Amino acid sequence: MGRRFDVGVGVFGALLLANAAVSTVLYRGDLKIRDEEFTFPSAQVVFEVALSLVLCLWAALKIPGSFLPILSDAKENRVTMFPANLDFMVFNHRGKLFPPKFVEAEFS
Amino acid sequence: MAPTPRSAVVSRTSNAKDQTKKVDDADEVPAYSQENVQLNMRMIYYSRTFLSIVGGVIAGVLGLTGISGFLCYFLIMMLASVGVAAKAKFDVHSYFDSWNRILFDGIGQGLLSFILFWTFAYDIVHIF
Repeated sequence: MGRRFDVGVGVFGALLLANAAVSTVLYRGDLKIRDEEFTFPSAQVVFEVALSLVLCLWAALKIPGSFLPILSDAKENRVTMFPANLDFMVFNHRGKLFPPKFVEAEFS
Repeated sequence: MAPTPRSAVVSRTSNAKDQTKKVDDADEVPAYSQENVQLNMRMIYYSRTFLSIVGGVIAGVLGLTGISGFLCYFLIMMLASVGVAAKAKFDVHSYFDSWNRILFDGIGQGLLSFILFWTFAYDIVHIF
């Protein structure tokens, strides 16, 4: 659900940017009719562009996922790294001479 | 030839050991999980590429030309760097091997995408 929300935010930001582009085209058309030159887009377009930038920034940071720690001795890496290399796992050893002790669990 | 004093020999040996020990300490490199390093770098690359495209469209819509367009690109990349650092909770060394990864990596690659979409958006909005 979190990822879908982030994708939705990104899509909304892109649509807002497209709407700003269309608004600018219409604004330029109006300026042409009034025989004026285009200097800077309207305040509405600037606001829409700024908002779409914020939304796209959010989506760009959230959609790829979370960073993973790179230190080999990090807590999150311990369980995932252990079965990665089975070459050093030895099961044929003298420990099999000592049968495990099974103790019944006591439930209070 | 006068015999070498014992203290000089001892000190020379201990200096050699100290030097060896200092070299060993300097050579110690923390062990990184290469898979996670590459994964984190790929995430930054995807984020920067997407933001380069968005930045190009923004620069085109706003009608920016010349240096102002490039300033827009570098501003957006700076915001991306701040965002990535915040995503790493500002504990950069747990996720990357240096600050350069967050600050500078991927900026050159995104620049071409930025220019492409900047030109494209400017032409559509302001020329055609």
